[in-house]
Amino acid sequence: MLKNTFTLNVLDFSWVLLMIITTANAFVAETAEPSLAITAIICCSIAYKGRRIMDYFMELNHANKTIQLFMRGYFHVLPALIFLSDLFSEELVALTAL
Amino acid sequence: MTITAIDFHLNGSGEVTKEPETLNKIPGNRAVWVGIFAEMTEFALFFLVYFIAKAHYPEQFNQGPLKLNTLAGTLNTFALISSSYFVAKALASVRLNDPEKSIRWLWRAVFCGGVYLVIKIWEYHWNVDQGITTNTNNFYTVYYYLTFNHLLHVTWASGSLLWAIRQLKAGNYTQQNHLGFTAIACYWHMVDLAWVIIFPLLYVLR
Repeated sequence: MLKNTFTLNVLDFSWVLLMIITTANAFVAETAEPSLAITAIICCSIAYKGRRIMDYFMELNHANKTIQLFMRGYFHVLPALIFLSDLFSEELVALTAL
Repeated sequence: MTITAIDFHLNGSGEVTKEPETLNKIPGNRAVWVGIFAEMTEFALFFLVYFIAKAHYPEQFNQGPLKLNTLAGTLNTFALISSSYFVAKALASVRLNDPEKSIRWLWRAVFCGGVYLVIKIWEYHWNVDQGITTNTNNFYTVYYYLTFNHLLHVTWASGSLLWAIRQLKAGNYTQQNHLGFTAIACYWHMVDLAWVIIFPLLYVLR
């Protein structure tokens, strides 16, 4: 019988972890005042959740390197952009003003 | 044959080997990945619009999330993460040659997709009751564009899960042949991934 295989354990663990992080995010949304530190923490949580889903649910951890590179890159670049757009908001306004 | 956790690799395969099925391969097929990257690019453009709009209207983007229903957003995140988990379990079950179990996991995923849609529609009604519409301000315009676009993706991705259930019942997805199922699973995970970014952008960050 295939019981308690590594696969199932990793999936179960990932699900629990993702639910906990989501709950923490919701707690932050309800309680924390906006700051760069909070933004940085949220960006890290986005990157981590994305990586967890990609590696274990989507099974990219051993997959084709090009797809892995683009997908992992997406979840590094976007959280970084969220943080940088907050940090350099005035510069962004100057760059995008019509 | 007795199989232990050491013998059975992370992702398994049709014959249960020591190598993951997706080792150095494209999970699913090329076509679905063209679609996935197109969708991810579309969402990335929406996110860029969000960054620029937030920089120009910081007060609206600071106050906007406070008036949204955080509980609805959180429950939707739970629903999508759970559905992704159920789809991954369904794929693992078909690899272990248990299509019935796979179908049960997929029905749970479809149920979560349905829960997401019900909550989102309820949330839109709740918003209107609070006086929040697409024209209220720039934050809510971006909110409606992003969330409605994502809702459409959840709707047709749920349809693809129903298709997978039908194929499993017909015996077209088996332990040896489930490439199409893997492609559908990847697409569903992409929809979940998009929400992983949308939820904090709209409900958490100010």
